Amino acid sequence: MATGILPMEIAVYAVPVVTLILGLLIGYLAQRSGYCSIGGFRDFALFRHTRLLSGYLTLILASFAGYLLFWFLVPSSMEHFFWAFTSDLFVPIPGAPAGLSPAAYLLFSAVPGFLIGLIAVLLGGCPIRLTVMASEGSLKAAWFFIGMCVGSILFAALVSGWVVALMKTLGFGA
Amino acid sequence: MPTSNQTRKYLSVLARHPAFLGALIGILAAFSQALLISAGGPEAYGFCVACHTRDLVNGMTNLIADTTLSLAAISKNAILPVMSVTGVLIGAYLAARVNGEHKIRRSDPKTHVIYFLCGILVLNLAMIFGGCPYRAALRTGYGDITALLFIATMAIGVVLGTLVLLKREENKEDN
Repeated sequence: MATGILPMEIAVYAVPVVTLILGLLIGYLAQRSGYCSIGGFRDFALFRHTRLLSGYLTLILASFAGYLLFWFLVPSSMEHFFWAFTSDLFVPIPGAPAGLSPAAYLLFSAVPGFLIGLIAVLLGGCPIRLTVMASEGSLKAAWFFIGMCVGSILFAALVSGWVVALMKTLGFGA
Repeated sequence: MPTSNQTRKYLSVLARHPAFLGALIGILAAFSQALLISAGGPEAYGFCVACHTRDLVNGMTNLIADTTLSLAAISKNAILPVMSVTGVLIGAYLAARVNGEHKIRRSDPKTHVIYFLCGILVLNLAMIFGGCPYRAALRTGYGDITALLFIATMAIGVVLGTLVLLKREENKEDN
């Protein structure tokens, strides 16, 4: 079990507070900069603009730098850094439905990635851009956010079970 | 020496550049993991629009309606689920209000229905992968090869989508 700077008893109270402050800061700056991951690739493909793309690429580099920094400072909080060296190469960090073979997780990366890119560019933004647009007063973006909320419950109650059952029938069980 | 006015101008330009926010999210996500990981995993979970929305909705539903919808350990163990999406909504609203950019924009009902359904679809796709484009970036930074694959196919999807957009524009001009 990984341990961070705060002990468990305090961390359980700190989680909503710290993440709320983080979100406020990110939301404020995202509105000011028009931050968008999908938009970065789109603007580069259409006009060779790199402004938004630089934001997303910086995020990847900065997260590596940040994890590296805190891996030095608080090693116990970064148990499996650098993931590719501490576990099997194609095993993902937990988050997707568990209990399937490595090949299934490659599919789970490739197919949703492609579809999210395609859908989001047609909608005009990635999830964070649409969330920010909802706050700016765009009603269609607000409906997108409500869809995400409904989707959360649907996924937990039904879809995750279907996906795991389907993958196991197709022979992708662990 | 730059005057305080100049400094302020530089700072405001910096704050409005996406690269600044990208760097900030990356560092803060690592910091929040270092700070909070005792409450529970997973790793590389500092910021994610899709997962944190899932945690917020399912966590609050579990608290209110006494259900057992699945969510990340960190949100299950904490007194309340992660609140970053609430923060993003409020922060962006304040930014839009302060700078006079808040304006209700209506679309036709059909567009609203399409965006609602796409919201459901995108969230489910993101949950199958285990993150939105932002957590994919964090996971890549943490050393997860599969997340890099997600970003690569996402870029292909976006390029294909822009071709569709261009085609649509051409058709509009022809009419």
